[in-house]
Formats: sequence, C-alpha cells, structure tokens
Amino acid sequence: MTFRPSRKRAGLAILAGPAALALMVTGCSSANEPDPQSTSGSGTLVAAITADPDTLFPWKATQFQAVNVLENIYGTLTQFDDELNVVPGLAEKWEPSEDGTQVTLTLRDGVTFHDGSEFDADDVKHSLDLIRDEATAAVAAASIGSVTDVEVVDPLTVTLTLSAPDAGLMANLANVNVAMLSSDDTEEDLNTEPNGTGAFVYVDRTPNQSIKLEANEDYWGDAASLSSLEFRIIADETSIVSALQSGDVQFAVLNDPLVAKTAEGSGISVVGTPQLSYHALQLNATKGALTDVNVRLAMQCAIDRQQVLDTAALGEGEVTGPITSPAFKSDPEARPCPERDLDKAKEYLAKAGMADGVTVKTIVSQGSYATSVNEAQNLQAQLAEAGITLDLEVLEAGAYVDRWIAADFEAAVALNGGRPDPDGMYGRYFPSTGNLNQVAGYNSPELDALFAEGKATMDADERKSIYDEISQHLEDNAAWIWLFTSYTYTATTDTVDGFTPMANGSLQNLRSTTVSN
Amino acid sequence: MSAEVTVDTTALQAPAKGRGSVLAGILRSPSGLIGLLLTGAVVTLGLLSVFNLLPFDPIAQRPEVRLQGPSGEHWFGTDQFGRDILSRTASGVANSLLISVVAVAFAAIIGTAGGLIAGFFRGWSDRSISGVTNVLFAFPPLLLALSLASAFDRTWFTIAVAIAIVYAPIFVRVARGPVLSLREADFVRSATVVGMRRFAIIWQHILPNIGAIVIVQITLSLSWAVLTEASLSFLGLGTPPPAASLGAMIFEARTLVNFAPWTMFAPGAVIILLVVGLNLLGDGLRDALDPRNRGTK
Amino acid sequence: MRTITRHPIARKLAEAALTLLGVAVLVFVMLRATRGDQISATLGIEAAALTPAQRAALEAYYGLDQPLVVQFFSWLGNVVTGNLGYSSRSRQSVLEMTADSLPITFELAVLSIIIGLLIGVPLGMLSASRANSLRDAFGQTVGLAGLSIPAFLLGSTMLALSASMLGYNPNARGFASFAEDPWLNLQQMLMPALVLGFGLAAPIMRTARSALLEVRSMDFVRTARSKGAGPVRVQLKHVLHNALVPIVTMTGLQFGYLLGGAVVVEQIFSIPGIGRQVLIGIQQKEYAVVQSTVLVIALSFVIINLLTDLLYRVIDPRVRAQ
Repeated sequence: MTFRPSRKRAGLAILAGPAALALMVTGCSSANEPDPQSTSGSGTLVAAITADPDTLFPWKATQFQAVNVLENIYGTLTQFDDELNVVPGLAEKWEPSEDGTQVTLTLRDGVTFHDGSEFDADDVKHSLDLIRDEATAAVAAASIGSVTDVEVVDPLTVTLTLSAPDAGLMANLANVNVAMLSSDDTEEDLNTEPNGTGAFVYVDRTPNQSIKLEANEDYWGDAASLSSLEFRIIADETSIVSALQSGDVQFAVLNDPLVAKTAEGSGISVVGTPQLSYHALQLNATKGALTDVNVRLAMQCAIDRQQVLDTAALGEGEVTGPITSPAFKSDPEARPCPERDLDKAKEYLAKAGMADGVTVKTIVSQGSYATSVNEAQNLQAQLAEAGITLDLEVLEAGAYVDRWIAADFEAAVALNGGRPDPDGMYGRYFPSTGNLNQVAGYNSPELDALFAEGKATMDADERKSIYDEISQHLEDNAAWIWLFTSYTYTATTDTVDGFTPMANGSLQNLRSTTVSN
Repeated sequence: MSAEVTVDTTALQAPAKGRGSVLAGILRSPSGLIGLLLTGAVVTLGLLSVFNLLPFDPIAQRPEVRLQGPSGEHWFGTDQFGRDILSRTASGVANSLLISVVAVAFAAIIGTAGGLIAGFFRGWSDRSISGVTNVLFAFPPLLLALSLASAFDRTWFTIAVAIAIVYAPIFVRVARGPVLSLREADFVRSATVVGMRRFAIIWQHILPNIGAIVIVQITLSLSWAVLTEASLSFLGLGTPPPAASLGAMIFEARTLVNFAPWTMFAPGAVIILLVVGLNLLGDGLRDALDPRNRGTK
Repeated sequence: MRTITRHPIARKLAEAALTLLGVAVLVFVMLRATRGDQISATLGIEAAALTPAQRAALEAYYGLDQPLVVQFFSWLGNVVTGNLGYSSRSRQSVLEMTADSLPITFELAVLSIIIGLLIGVPLGMLSASRANSLRDAFGQTVGLAGLSIPAFLLGSTMLALSASMLGYNPNARGFASFAEDPWLNLQQMLMPALVLGFGLAAPIMRTARSALLEVRSMDFVRTARSKGAGPVRVQLKHVLHNALVPIVTMTGLQFGYLLGGAVVVEQIFSIPGIGRQVLIGIQQKEYAVVQSTVLVIALSFVIINLLTDLLYRVIDPRVRAQ
C-alpha cells in the first residue's frame, strides 16, 4: 500500500490515517507495470475524468470536469496558490484607490494567447464587459457585479470602477468563469478551438472519449513538465480504478470514498484532500412548518452530524459549520446544539406547538454524488427519533436540479460548492438581494447588514470576525443544517509525481506534475 | 417439408386437467422440483417480512453496530447503517418480487392478448398492435424508465409500470409468432370450417398451444424483472430508499465488497437462488403443462 | 410468393414510416414531460442565478424559445432531409455522432449474440436431450447461477479482476474502432460482449430447450426415428431446424434490445456506443440528440423486424405457404 500524506497543510487534516486504512486492505498488491504501448512518448499523462466537459467555453462552464480541463487552458487575472490565497495571475499587481471604489490592474508583459496574439488591456476590457453583459449569459456576471466600468489606461494598465468597495472581487477574478479571452475570438470559435493563455494548449477532442492538450512552450510561468496531457472519459469510478491498476491511466480524481478505499487497497497511491464544498440539509424557511425557527432548531438538535458522516461516507470527512475555507473557517461547535440533544429537540418542537410531530418534504438527488441517498437515509432515521418525519423524494439528477433552482422543496439534501472567499460563497445565498436567496430560503436585516459590511471591509482580521458573526447567525437561526465536508481523492500510479491537490478541487497543478514512463 | 410439419391435434383437443396434476407434473421432473424448492424458499423468506416475523426492523438504523460481520445476533452481518442484512434481504425479496410480479402480470396479460389478436386476426388489428409494439420496442428502455421516474413520483408502482411497458411487447412478439403458424394448422382450419366462433377457437385451440411458451416467458421475465430493477439501481432509478430491494442492496454492496464482503453475500445469494429457481420452475411448468406430456410418464 | 404480392414493399414502407412517426411523437413528448432543460442540465444549480435576460439569451441559443409545435415540425422536417440536428455540447452533427456510435453498438450486439448462441444453443440441446435427469438439473442450476448475476456486477468484477490480477485492461486505452485497429478493437469488445453474451445465453438456452422439446415430441420426428435416422441426425436436421423459429424470434428481439440496452455495459467498459449517446443526451437534455438517436434506433428496429419476418418465411414453410 502506498498511502502518501499530502505535503500541504490541507492534506494533514485527513482523519483516516495510514494505520486506519491499512486495516481495510484486503486486495492483493500487484506489480502494476504500465503497459508500454499505452503511453506513446515520455511525459504524457493520461488523466481519467467521469464525464465529457459539457462546454469548452469558460464563461459558461460550471460542471466540475469542464472547469478542471479549462483551468489548464485559460488564464485569469488573479489566481489561487495551493493554500487558496489570491496571488497574481495575468495581472501582475493591483492597487485599490483610497476609497476602495477603483482598482488599477497592472498586466503581465509579454503574455500571448495560444494562437500567438498578444494579451493586453483591450482583451481585459473586452472580456469583463462581455461577462457583465446579460446577453452573454456568463455565469460569473453577478460575481463581478460590483464592477461598473472598465477603462483601458494603456496596453498594460486597466482601471476597474466599482459601485462600492468589494473585498471579494480579487478572489472572484481567479475563477475560470472570468477567464481572459482574446478580443478577436467569439464564443462560437472558442467552443471548437479553445484559445487561452494557460499552461496547456488544446490539441483535439473526441467527444465523450478524450480531450488532448500539449504543453504551452510560451507560458508566462514555468512551462509544464508534461509534454502532453490527455483527459480520458471513463464514466464509472470503479472502472477508473481498474484503468489505474493496469497503468493505462495514471491520474484520476475520485469522489466516492468507498471507491477510493478500494483503490487504496490495490496498490494505487491515493491522497485525500478536504474540500471547500459542503454537505448540508438545506432548509427552506419560507415553506411549511420550517417558517418557524423552533422547528428548524429542533431539526438541528436532533441530528448527530458525525453519525451522518460515519454512516454515509464511512467517516471520510469532517463535521463543519457554514464557512469552509481555511482562512475564514467556522467553528463547527458554535451552534445551539453542538451535540445531538433529543430532549432539546423535543423542547423546540413543543415551543413550536408541534409536539405531536412534523413532516418535512425533502428532495434528494440519486446519481449526482455518491453519498446523497445514504445521507438522506440516516437523516431520516435520526429525525424520526425526535418525531420529525423526513418525507424523502428521491429524484433523478436533472429533476433534482430543476426543483432546486425553482426552490420547489421544503428541505433538500445538498452538496454545494464552496469558495475561498466567504462573500463569494454565501454572498449570493443569504443577503436578501442575493441571486440565490430564493433558493436559500432565509434572510434577515442583520445578515444583510453583516454581508454589506464584510464586503466593504478590507482588513483581513476584521473580515474574519464579521464572517464569524454571519456564521453564528446562520447556525443560531438554523437557516440550514451544515453537516460535513468530504474529501476528494487524487489517485495516481507510482510513475506520477509533483501534483498538489487543492481544497477547491482545482487541477491547475497538473502544470507542475511529472510522469516517468 | 411442409407435409412433415403437423400438430398433434388429438392431444390438443384433450380436456385441460386440474391444478393438482400440474403440480404433480412439476414434482415429477427434477428441475421443476428444484425450481419449486428454490423459489419456495426465497418466497418464504419474503413472506417472513410481509408478516413481520423478521428478527430486526429492516429500516431501523443502529449505527453503533454498523458494518459488523456475521455473528450469532446478525447471521449475515450488518450494513453501514447497522441494519440487519438478513432482515433487509428478506424485505428486499418482498419488495423486488412485488415489483416483478406486478410488472410481469401487467406485461403478460396485455402482451399475450395483443399477440393473440394480432396473430390470429391479422389485418388492421395486427397492423395497429404490431405498430404500437414496434414503437415501444424502438424505445430505449432507459428513456422510458427515466421519463416515468421523472414525470411521476418514484414509487414501487411506477417502477413496476415502467418495467411492464418494457416487457409487454416481448409477450406480443412471443405469442404472435407461434399463432401465425398455428392459425394455418389443420385443426384450426377444420374448427373454422365447422363454424366455431373465432374467440372460442382462440380460447380452446390457440391459447393452450402457446401456453407453454408464454409460461416459460413469464418465469424468464420474472427473473429478468428482478435483474432489470437491479440495473435501474445502477443508473440511479431504482426503488426509493429506505425501502430495501435486492438490486439496490447489491448495487450498494458493490463498492463495500472489498472491506465488508458480507454485505454482498446474502442479497447476492438470494438473487441467484431466485433467478435460478424461477428458471427451473419455468421448465417444470412447461413440461407439466405440455399436452403431449400428459399421461405419457 | 403470394405473401409478397399481398404485402407490396410500398405497404411495408408505409408501415415502417408510421412506426417511426409514432416513435418521433412519443420521444418528443416524453422528453418535454421530464423536468429540466438543457440550460439547467448544463449550468446545474448555477441556473438558479440567471437573470431573466440571461435566461432569455440562453433559451434563444438552445432554440427553446420556439413554441413546441414549431420545435417538433422543424426537427422532423430537418430529419426528413437528412439533417439530424447538432449537438452543441459535442460540437458535432448528430449524423456524424451516429455514424461513429451505431456501428460500434452493432458490432457489440453481433458479438454478444454469437457468444450467447454459442453458449445457449448447445446448453439448450444438452438439457433437452436429458431433460429429466437429476445430474442435468444440477448442471443447469450451476450454469444458470452464472447467468443470473446483474450485468453491472459481472462487468465491473470482470474488469477489476482482469486489471488487478493480470494488469490487462484494453478498455482503459483510448477506444479504437475496428477500422482503426482491429486487434485492439476486438480486445476491447471481448469483455463487454462476454458480459452481454452470458446474459443472453440464459434466455436463448431456455427458448432452445423449450422449442426442442416441443418439436421433438411431434409426429414427424417420431417418424424419422422409426425410419432409422440416427439421434444426431434427427437432432440436427429435423429438430433444430424446426426449433429455429422461436430461437430466431428470441434472437431478433434481443438484438433490437441490445441497440438501446447495452448502455450499462457501454458505461462500465467505456464503449462509445449508441446507448451511451442516448444516455448522455438524456442527462444533458440535448433534445435533438436524443430524438434523432432514438429515431435511428427505431429505424434499425424496423429493419431487423423485417429481416426477422423474412427469416420466418425462409425457415418455416407454414408461414411461407399461407
């Protein structure tokens, strides 16, 4: 067995250490010689992904696989380092004005797109203007909504004018959905022939089978060590493990903790990385009995989060509060019921006048992520002991999304994406003006004020305490019930080295990865 | 060649025998006997669940005993929620059989009737029934199941209906083929000539002759329906939790099998026993129902 | 011969066209009855954050802003002229996609059926020849046990064992069509065809056994025996020949099923067949892809049915003579 602890801080948080995992090993370890025919040249990495990217246009890419591929092709003004700090990307530096309503970006000199054209301030203006234009239907429009004007000062300087100071803006610019595109390209062009500034150049694609990239020799940073990178689509995670075992695939990210454990037992090196995304029971405080805060609190008190984690994901994860990013992390114990307390749950129910029990209609998706149905089953069993009936509606993934976006549910078992910046993460859910507030189902004047304050505050420590307050408010009112964060698992053969997984699930470090064939 | 092909009309005209002799027929053939025993054993297990005679509640969770191997208390171990696998398997048999039996009953009745009418009357009824059959056949079963699962609340009944719609066309085709041949047989022609009414001919002469093949098809379809329900679980369209079904249990155990192999054993063994049992029982039934076997052994 | 004159080709074609029209209407209605559209399928929960203007722009982009009737007839009109639509996700026309995926599934289906027949027919003959021996019943039980494992379980177990114990996993290499690399292609087809073939062998065996018993007890076989024909000759010439109708029916049915029904195996073994094309189309709510692909599958069905009907006439003189 070759369990390698991640070298990064994030990786050390893994609970199931090598000793615990060793007990699970039942498979035999085979030699796993890579098939010489499978890898053509030296420095070729084949990475398995479970689905074909549904778009190659970065402004509309929300699917994990699409983001994973595109962040290797496209560049952004800022980017995240391995600890998710915002660091310079295509913008070498940035300077906010005194009152915080203007930001002046200095662009990196000598950057070219893959087609050879120069990257300059016109491309930045072109990109940001189009993203903000509703007709483009770019998913990041709202995240840079504070930008009211983009002005080209000179070819390497751009000034952004903001409606109000926005502490989360620079983090939002690191998202591949705000990728910088050449002003010569159209969406139609880029859908067939991606043209970015990233470390890898798009070569070709066989739909539903593979996407091939090669190293960008002119990349502004350190050029990739791999000469080529192929994303191969293998839909079933169990089949991916088999592909790693035979050496035909050398790299994959697994999500199902059970599959990851199986892989671990068979000689593949597996590294678990805690994720920003979080598992939660979303409550819709505008529907049914849940409008009463006491019912929501009763549910919070009736749930042992560790038990959900243990049964649904075999303990592979960590109990969490609302904010998951390391710099702003919520204290998971800071809530009315840090431990399960059935008596208190019944008290709350009695206070709500529902001592006889209450029924909550809950939607669950089946098939979109591995643990959803298991979580729902355990939540149902736990809540039943407090007299709360979780009426489960198990839906096919597409139907679930449709119900979710229409806020057509009382409660939803959900796995939601997290972001490094807490404003980017919850600024769209809980302020009454947030574009997902209808789905979040909860808002309050206090929260509105706190979110506005958090956005306007630049000082890191002050921000931290504001978001602690937000987190506390959300838990005290049981807006939702935050359960746990899980891991993703980077599975590699022993020929692969130098990849650092990140808590946001990014595969940007494929550019520093090496493979010895 | 055609002169050689005749149907033993005397046997066909023999009066149907009672239920008891069918059972006796099954018991006479070893495969039928084994099939009856296997199916009976599995059905008994399912009945235990129906009559609440299980050692544990198949749904209640006891996380403190989760993922335990077989023991005196839990003969076949517990799953990741601490549910007793034996009890869950029994309840899964009941649920899977309920879905399969309802689905196949619908499919067999509608499909066989359609096949008889289409094959015997030909003409426009054949064209319209075959038309509908072809339309349904042409549908990927997955799309049917998905549409139904998405358009209605997913319950055991909608799953049964989805499976029934997938299987009904098979019965149409299986029945129609032989009827095409039979309607040209001498004994059917002579019955027509002597002025027998056509539905009476179907009832007395055609149906008994395709009975065997339909019954074989029913037992086969039952076992396929159990497996189809399992495949639907693979695609995330199976029986909604927390109810147990054999397919869903096997699907869940698939990823657990490396460190908790007992989670696979009971549902896996039972689904194999059930499928094999139903197949063998189908053989036995076929032999017992076959007019030509009556009284010859 | 009269049959053919009574059923002119024109009439068969009209029938086929009606079937296809039925399929077209049904698939169109079913897709619209399922929840969600390509916008929510592509953007996922981010679709909730769209402003009305953004949503309108996307609806226009995906052609969802047209009335349903217009969507239906413009699609059907295009299909009639050979334009099956376009997948905005794959950046390919559905015709191109299908030209790649249909032959792959076709090949898989043929191989599976060959394997199914190779296992099923001999087993059926064996069991019919000694239908009532206890030893044979046990043999059947064991054989059936192997055939009663769900395909997803058999498939992934086979793949896992082959990869971990032998390091052999041709399906993890990029898929090669038969034209590109016949040897690799056959290796990649082997395991999925075995899994499907095992599944097919059981019904083929039951049907063969049942049909053989039926035919064997008929007078002409007894006559042939009494005339002194040896058991092997009787078995092969008279019995098997006459048992072909139900076997052909069964096989034809299974072949049709495999076109759309091999999807689980295609998924596990990463075979880019037509079943996966439909599945991905459904998941992504790419209406044009699903509608046209289902129509293509339906067309294949119609053709296979015609061939099965023709085969009846060749095999069974009673049908021919009517």
